[in-house]
Amino acid sequence: MASQDKSINTDVPEKDVFALHFLQSLSNLKTQNPSNSPDKTNDRVKKIKMAAYVSMARAAGGRRLWSRALLRRAASENNKIVRFPRRKRRVTWLSRRRCNRRAPVEEKAADRLRDLVPGGGEMETSKLMKETAHYIKCLSMQVKVMQCLVDGLSPK
Amino acid sequence: MENELFMNAALPPPPEMAAHFETPSSSSAMLNWALRDPNLALNSSPQDCFLWEKSTEQQQSIFDSALSSLVSSPTPSNSNFSGGCGAGDGFLIRELIGKLGNIGNSSGEIYGTPVSRSASCYATPMSSPPPPMMNRATPLTEFSGDPGFAERAAKFSCFGSRSFNGRTNSGLPVNNGNIINAGKLTRVSSTPSLNALASPEFASASRPMIPAGESTPKLPGEFSRKRKTVSKAKSKENPISTASPTPSFSKTAERKEDWDGKGIKSSEEKGGKRRREEEEDEEEGKGNKSNNNTKQPEPFKDYIHVRARRGQATDSHSLAERVRREKIGERMKLLQDLVPGCNKVTGKALMLDEIINYVQSLQRQVEFLSMKLSSVNDTRLDFNVDALVSKDVMIPSSSNRLHEERLQSESSNHHQQLNNYNSQLHPNMMLQSSMNSLETSTLARNFTHLPTLTQFTDSIPQYQMFSEEDLQSIVGMGVAHNTSNESQHMKIEL
Repeated sequence: MASQDKSINTDVPEKDVFALHFLQSLSNLKTQNPSNSPDKTNDRVKKIKMAAYVSMARAAGGRRLWSRALLRRAASENNKIVRFPRRKRRVTWLSRRRCNRRAPVEEKAADRLRDLVPGGGEMETSKLMKETAHYIKCLSMQVKVMQCLVDGLSPK
Repeated sequence: MENELFMNAALPPPPEMAAHFETPSSSSAMLNWALRDPNLALNSSPQDCFLWEKSTEQQQSIFDSALSSLVSSPTPSNSNFSGGCGAGDGFLIRELIGKLGNIGNSSGEIYGTPVSRSASCYATPMSSPPPPMMNRATPLTEFSGDPGFAERAAKFSCFGSRSFNGRTNSGLPVNNGNIINAGKLTRVSSTPSLNALASPEFASASRPMIPAGESTPKLPGEFSRKRKTVSKAKSKENPISTASPTPSFSKTAERKEDWDGKGIKSSEEKGGKRRREEEEDEEEGKGNKSNNNTKQPEPFKDYIHVRARRGQATDSHSLAERVRREKIGERMKLLQDLVPGCNKVTGKALMLDEIINYVQSLQRQVEFLSMKLSSVNDTRLDFNVDALVSKDVMIPSSSNRLHEERLQSESSNHHQQLNNYNSQLHPNMMLQSSMNSLETSTLARNFTHLPTLTQFTDSIPQYQMFSEEDLQSIVGMGVAHNTSNESQHMKIEL
């Protein structure tokens, strides 16, 4: 059973890990602000969203660029240190390319994609494609799990 | 024998080799003689006598000259061998080149022979082969082949130090399969340089036969021409080599000795500084060239890898660009499979647009869902909190299994059915949906490789998570029964 699972989970983003992290963070949120104040819904939504992304990044592991970028961003927002071995290159590909010469249509589109994919600014285009693929996988997984959660938790 | 000889010659002479070669030549010529003797004895021929005579002469005269004869003695064999059929100088050389090339083939195989042995072998075959060849040789051929002698002698005297350099001049990698060529060119390039040196020696050795003055001026000129074609570096040496032998033939042997000392052991000996410098330069050049040669294959591979088609640009930038584009294209295909509706679109830009839209939609969905969750969270998530935090990480899978068994015992029949169904449906299922009993209303989640979290308080929807990829992983049994639309298990239950 376990071995089979391993074989399954090699590439596919792991739902259960994500769900675990997500539920944990949700519960943490709950404990942090137990008072159900409806006025801070916006803030709350943001936090939940952030939790969802962070847990997705955690589920994806530290090997992906986008997950690292997400975790970095979360850390900077939270002022909490997330330990991850850093890559050396911090010069953003995006900025370099933007200030650079002519950009074909594809490159423009790729730049838009860079804005969407976390950490995309640092990526070279082919790398960006790869990361985007994984990111899309993880996102769809996340959406599914969250959908299930919502469905499960919402009252009849 | 010839082959052996040349194989040894074709060996890349390392410094040790040079040292080996020098020691017998300068200090103990007797050793060489001793080595020669058995071979000569084996080759019982009139020419042996001739050789013996020569050798005795040389012994009488000087040891050094003995060396020169040693060096020169094989040359007649070579000359006969190559130029046996009426050898003109150019013809001889050509022949030599061809032969050396051939031998270079064989030499490549025996490349790694130990140096010491090669040195010893070097002495023996050199001396031994001549007799049989000399048998056939008429004096005339000897005369005609005398440049060949000189050449040979020069080569052998020099190869200890020079052939290495000569190889560098050839500009071919030493360690590659091009050794053959390298060897060939080495000979050619190296021989002429000392040719002038050796020829007077030969003249001194066989004084009656040849007027030395004739051979010497003629040869260097010719070889210098050849040499220019081969390499520039050698042409520098030409004046030196030509200048040195000419002045006095009486001292040629000694001088040759000196040359052996300096030329072979160039880095160590004093004097002949120019030569040494040149050689060093050549060696440096050789180092560079070898580096270049080692580097060459890699880009070559790249070229093969990229393989510009007809009409495509072949400079490195466009090749790199093409590689990059190909890579991007591959990844795009990968993305195409992921993004629904992307297959119909053609063109990278449109495809990227599609991908962007998809990602955006997913992100929006996440946002929307998180909003929903935030609204839901208040009412429903309370129970989760404690249970999750407390039990989440701690419970091992075995306890989970126990729990499942208990569950099974509780709601045996129904549960069994469901499990069976699940196993049939998803053989690889990560989670055997443990409970479908509404009565127990426990929340059980199986994390197969993670610690499981099993039981929650009452009045809680059951979560069965992650049964399959597309399956909605959480099913609210008690509460969200109706809302869960796609779950197979729910259908069963319904």
